[in-house]
Amino acid sequence: MTRRHPLGSAWTGVLLALPLLLFLAAAVAWPIAGLAARAFATNRGAAFGVVLAAGRYRTSLVNSLALSSAAAVVSVLLALWPSWVLARERFRGRDLLRTVISLPLTFSGVLVGFLMVVLLGRVGALPKAIGFLTGREAFVGAAYTFAGLFAAYLYFEVPRAVVTLESAFRRFPRELDMAARALGAGPLERLIKVALPAAAPALRSTLAVTFSASMGSFGVALILSRRFTVAPLEIYTEMTGFLNDEVAGALCLLLALATLVVDRLLSAGRR
Amino acid sequence: MRALRRWPRRAGIAAVALLAVALATPIAITAAGAFSHADWYGERSEGAAVADAPALFSYVLETWGRALLRSAAVVAAVVPLALLIGAPAAWAFRRRPFPGSRLLESAALVPLAVPGVALAFALIQSAPGFPRFWLLVAGHLAYTVPLVVKSVGNAVETFDPRLEAVARSLGAGGWETARRVTLPLLLPALILSALLVFAVSWGEFNVSFLLATPLLQTFPAGLYATYTTNSFPVAAAATLVFLAPVVPALIAIQALGGEEFHRGLPA
Repeated sequence: MTRRHPLGSAWTGVLLALPLLLFLAAAVAWPIAGLAARAFATNRGAAFGVVLAAGRYRTSLVNSLALSSAAAVVSVLLALWPSWVLARERFRGRDLLRTVISLPLTFSGVLVGFLMVVLLGRVGALPKAIGFLTGREAFVGAAYTFAGLFAAYLYFEVPRAVVTLESAFRRFPRELDMAARALGAGPLERLIKVALPAAAPALRSTLAVTFSASMGSFGVALILSRRFTVAPLEIYTEMTGFLNDEVAGALCLLLALATLVVDRLLSAGRR
Repeated sequence: MRALRRWPRRAGIAAVALLAVALATPIAITAAGAFSHADWYGERSEGAAVADAPALFSYVLETWGRALLRSAAVVAAVVPLALLIGAPAAWAFRRRPFPGSRLLESAALVPLAVPGVALAFALIQSAPGFPRFWLLVAGHLAYTVPLVVKSVGNAVETFDPRLEAVARSLGAGGWETARRVTLPLLLPALILSALLVFAVSWGEFNVSFLLATPLLQTFPAGLYATYTTNSFPVAAAATLVFLAPVVPALIAIQALGGEEFHRGLPA
C-alpha cells in the first residue's frame, strides 16, 4: 500500500493519535492517579478501612454491585428477543420502533427517575389507572421502593442492551441462519441453538456495558432512593454534605476499581 | 401450516412494539401533563399565571434559560473537540498503526467503565483552580471520545485502503488525500458521530451535576432542581424542553443509517 515513506507513516500515526493520548493522560489517567495517590498518602490509606468496614459505605458498594449485576442480567434477557427481531426481520415501522427504543439511551438518570415517579409515584399514573378500573389503587409509591429503583434501571438498560445486541446480531453470518432454516429450525430454535452460541462474546460485552452504566448511574438513585443507597449517591453525600473528601475519594476508587475489574473480566478475550 | 410457521415472526414484532410502548408510555404521560390544564393540579408554588401550556414553557425557559445556554455552550465545545480528538486517532489505528497503538485504542474505551461521579470527583480534586467550564467539557469528552473512536474506526474499516493508495500514487500528497478521499468517505460516519456525541453530551448528568456550581448548571442539573421543587406541569414542560433537540437528533441518526449508530456504541 502506501509504502513510500515507511518510517514517515508510523510517525504520521503517532502524530494523529497524539491528541487522544494527551487527552487520556490529562483528563482521565492523571486525575485518577492523583486521587489514588492522595487516598493512600493521607493517614496511610485509613479511609479505605473506613469504607470497607461494615457500615453504610460498604453497604452502598455491595448494593451497587448487586443492583448493577441484576440489572445487567435481566436487561440482557429482556433484550434478547426484541434485538433479534430488529436485526433479522423487516417490517413496516421498524425504524420508528427502533428510534423509540433508543430514546432512553440519551436520558440523564434524573429524567428516568422522574418518569418512574410519574408512572409509579404516590400519585402515579399506574396506581391511578388501577384505582379507576378496580376501585382500589395499587402500587402507590412503588417508585420509591427497591422494585421501583430496579424498574428505573431496567428502563435505561434494556434499550442499551437492545441496541448493543442488535448490532451483534446484524454482524452474525446470515449463512448459518439460512442453513439452520433449511434444516427446518424455527425462528426461536435458530435463536437459541445457532445465534446465541455464536453471539456469546457479544452477550458478555453487552453485560459489561450495561453493568458499567448501572454502576456509574447516579441520577436515578438521587431521585428515587429512600432507604436503599448506592455508591455514587454516598460519594455525592460525603462530598457535598459532609465535605468528607477522604472517604469520598476512597469510595470513588473502590467503585471505579470494581467496575473496571468486572468490565475487563466480561470483555476478556474480545480485544 | 403456513400460519403456524409465521406466528414467531408476528409474536416477535409484537414483542418489539410492546417494548417500545412500555418505554414511551411514561414520556407520553409527561407530555400530556405539559399540555393539560395546569389548573387541574390545584394550588401550585409557581402561581396562577402559569396555567396553560405557553405559560408553562415560557416559565421554564425563563427559569432555566441560563442552564440551557450553558448546556448549549458545553455541547458546542464537546462535539468538535470529541471529533478532533477521536477521529484522527481512529484513522491512525487502522491505517498507520504504530507500536502501542492497539493498547492506546483499548485505553480510549476505558473511561466508559469509570463511573462519572468518580471521574468528576477526581477532576475537581486534581485541578481545583482550573476553570469549571473546561473541567465539565473534559468530563463530557471522556464519555464521548470513545464513541467517536469506535464509530469512526468501524467506518474506516469499511472502505478500501487502496482508494487512498491510488490517490497517493496519482501524486496527491498526504493533505490532499485526506481532504479529497478520506474525509469525503468518512463524512457520514463523522456526522453520525457528531449527532451521537451531541445526544450523549446534552443528557449527561453524572459528571455535570458534581462539577456544576450554582452559576454553572447544565440543563440536566436544572431538571433535577425542577423535579424536586416545581409542580408536575412545570416539570413535564421542562422534560419536553430537554427532549426537543434529542428526538430530532435520534431521528436523524436512524435516517442516516441506524446501523452505524449501533456500531458506534460501546460493544
